[in-house]
Amino acid sequence: MTSIARPLFFCLFSLAFTLVSAQAVNDHGTAGDHGTAGDETDVHQSCDAHGDDYDPAGVILHHIADANEFHVVGDLTIPLPVFLYAPGEGLTTGLSSMFHHGETAVDGYVMNHGRINRLSGAPAELMEGEHAVECIAHTTEMVDGKTRDIYAARINGESYLLDAPSVGDGGLLGGGITSFYDFSITKNVFTMLLAALLLILLWSAVARGYKKNEGKAPTGIQSLMEPFFVFLRDEISIPMIGEKHYERFQPFIMTIFFFVLFCNLLGLIPIFPGSSNVTGNIAVTMALAVISAIVAYIHGNRHYWEHTLWMPGVPAAIKIFILTPVEILGLVIKPFSLMVRLFANITAGHIIILSLISLIFIFGNNGENVIGAGAGAVVGAAFTLFMNCIELLVAFVQAFIFAILSASYIGAAVEDAHHHDEAGHHGEEKIAEGGVMGGAVTGMHTPAN
Amino acid sequence: MTTLFLADFSVIKPDFGLIFWTVIIFLVLYAILGKLAWKPIQRALRRRDDEIQTSIDEAKRARAEMQAQADENQRLLIEAREERTRIITEAERQSKEMIAAAKNEAREAAQKVASDARRDIDNMRKAAMVDLKKEVGSMAIEIAEKILQKDLKSDANQEAFVRELVRDLN
Repeated sequence: MTSIARPLFFCLFSLAFTLVSAQAVNDHGTAGDHGTAGDETDVHQSCDAHGDDYDPAGVILHHIADANEFHVVGDLTIPLPVFLYAPGEGLTTGLSSMFHHGETAVDGYVMNHGRINRLSGAPAELMEGEHAVECIAHTTEMVDGKTRDIYAARINGESYLLDAPSVGDGGLLGGGITSFYDFSITKNVFTMLLAALLLILLWSAVARGYKKNEGKAPTGIQSLMEPFFVFLRDEISIPMIGEKHYERFQPFIMTIFFFVLFCNLLGLIPIFPGSSNVTGNIAVTMALAVISAIVAYIHGNRHYWEHTLWMPGVPAAIKIFILTPVEILGLVIKPFSLMVRLFANITAGHIIILSLISLIFIFGNNGENVIGAGAGAVVGAAFTLFMNCIELLVAFVQAFIFAILSASYIGAAVEDAHHHDEAGHHGEEKIAEGGVMGGAVTGMHTPAN
Repeated sequence: MTTLFLADFSVIKPDFGLIFWTVIIFLVLYAILGKLAWKPIQRALRRRDDEIQTSIDEAKRARAEMQAQADENQRLLIEAREERTRIITEAERQSKEMIAAAKNEAREAAQKVASDARRDIDNMRKAAMVDLKKEVGSMAIEIAEKILQKDLKSDANQEAFVRELVRDLN
C-alpha cells in the first residue's frame, strides 16, 4: 500500500509546485477559448456577437464557478453524472455529455456555460425528450439598480428563458428557489470525492503502518503523517478542547482539517483532477461550518447553555435586552465567520491567480499584440508563481484555522463548570470569540487576499 | 468589460446540491476515517505513549535500584575495611600484650629464680656460718682445754693465771 500511496502523494504535492507554469499554459488555452474566439459552444451557439472583447471578469467568474462537466483542455471535456430534480416533474439522470455542451436540450434541461439550466415557460413537448438548441442568448437587465444576467435558449425559432438551479441564498444574491434542483456530481463534488478517496487511501495506509509496526518505531508514510496527527492533537485538540474531552473530538478535528486541506490543495492543481474551486464555494464552506457548529452545540453542556442563554450573575434586564440576544447572534455568527473566512480566502486566491493570467490577454490586446502578450506572460507567470506559493501556504493555514476554530467552539461548549479562573482558559475564550490569536492567524494570510 | 456576461458570481450562492453532497461526503468520510484510521491511530499512539512512559519509569526504577545496590556495596566495602582495620589493630594490640606479658613472666621467673638462688645461698651461707662457728667453738674449747691442762699443772702458773684473769676483770 505504501508503495502506491507514496508516489500518489509525491505527485499531489509536487503538482502544486511544478504545474504552475502548466497552469499558465493551460489557462492561456481556456481563457483564450472564452476570450478571443469564445469556446466551442459560444462560437456556434451564441445568438449575439460578443465574441471579440476579452472579458476578464467573466472568464474569472466562470473559472471559479462550479460546473456540470469537467473541462480539461481545448475540446476535451470529461462528462459527469447529472441528477436533476424538478418538483412535480420527477428526476432526470444521465451523463452531462448528453447535453452536447448546450446543443441539445434533454427533458427541458439545457447546458449553459457548463451549468445545467432549465427552460421556463416552454410548451410541454419541449420538456420531454431531446431537442436541438440553436443558440443561447445573453442579455443583461437592470433590476433594482443591479445588473442581472438573463439567458434564453432558442429552440425551433422560439426563445425560452433559462432557469438556473435552485440556490439557498433566499433570493438575496440573485438566486433563490427556481423550477428545479441540481443534485449532480459536479466538478466540486467530484473533487470532494477524490479528496475523500485520497484521504481514505492515505490514512488507511498510515493506520496499517501502526498495525504492522506495533511496538516499533514508525516507518514510511506512517512516519510522514504521524507528525500531522500529533501536531493537531497537541496544538489544536488538547489546548482548545482540554485534556479531559479532546479524545472524543480528535477524529472530527482531523477529518475537518484534512478534508479542507485536501480540497484546498486539489483546488491549486491547475489541470484535470484538481482545478475546481471547492472550498472557494460558499455551499461547501457553509456545510462544513454548519456541521462544526452542530457538533459543538449538540455537545454543549448545561454550563455552556446556561452561560449562553441566561448568564448567571447579570441583572435580568441586561440579560433579556442585551446579553442573550448577542449570545444567540453569536451562535450564528461563529459558523458564519468560519464559512466566510475559508470561502473568501480561497476564492480570493483563485481570483488573483486568474487575474494575473488575464494580464496576458489584456496586455496582448486580445491577441493582436504579441509583444504585449509576451510581456504579460512574463509578468503574469512570475506573479502567478509567487501567488501559487502563497496559495499553498493559505491552503494549510486556512485548513488549520478552520480546524482550530471548530475545536475552540467545541472546547467552549464542552468546558466544565468552575473552570473559569484556570490559566489558559482565557486564551481559549479569546480564540473562541475570534480574538487575539484568531486575529493573528487570520492576519497571517491577509497579504494573500 | 464591466458586464458579467459569461457567468455571475455563482460561488457565493449556496447550491443545494453542493450542500447536500458536501454533507454526505464529509459525514461518510468522517465515519470511514474514524473507523479505519483515527481510532486505531489514537489507540496505537496512546499505547506507545504509555509504553514509553512505562519504559522511562522502569529505567528510572532500575537506575534507582542500581544506585541503591551500589550504595549498599559501598557501605559493605567501607564496613569491611573498617572491620579489617579493627581486626588488625586488635591483633596487633593482642600480640603486643602477649609479648609484654611473656616478657614480664620471663622477667618475673628470672627474678624468682635469682631470688631463690640468693635465698638458698644466704641460707647455705648462714648454715655454713653456724657450722663454722660451732666448729671454731669446739676447736677453741679443745685448744683451751689442752692449754689449760698443760699450764695449770704447776701452782705458780695457776696463780699467775688467776692474777691475770683478775687484772683483766678490773
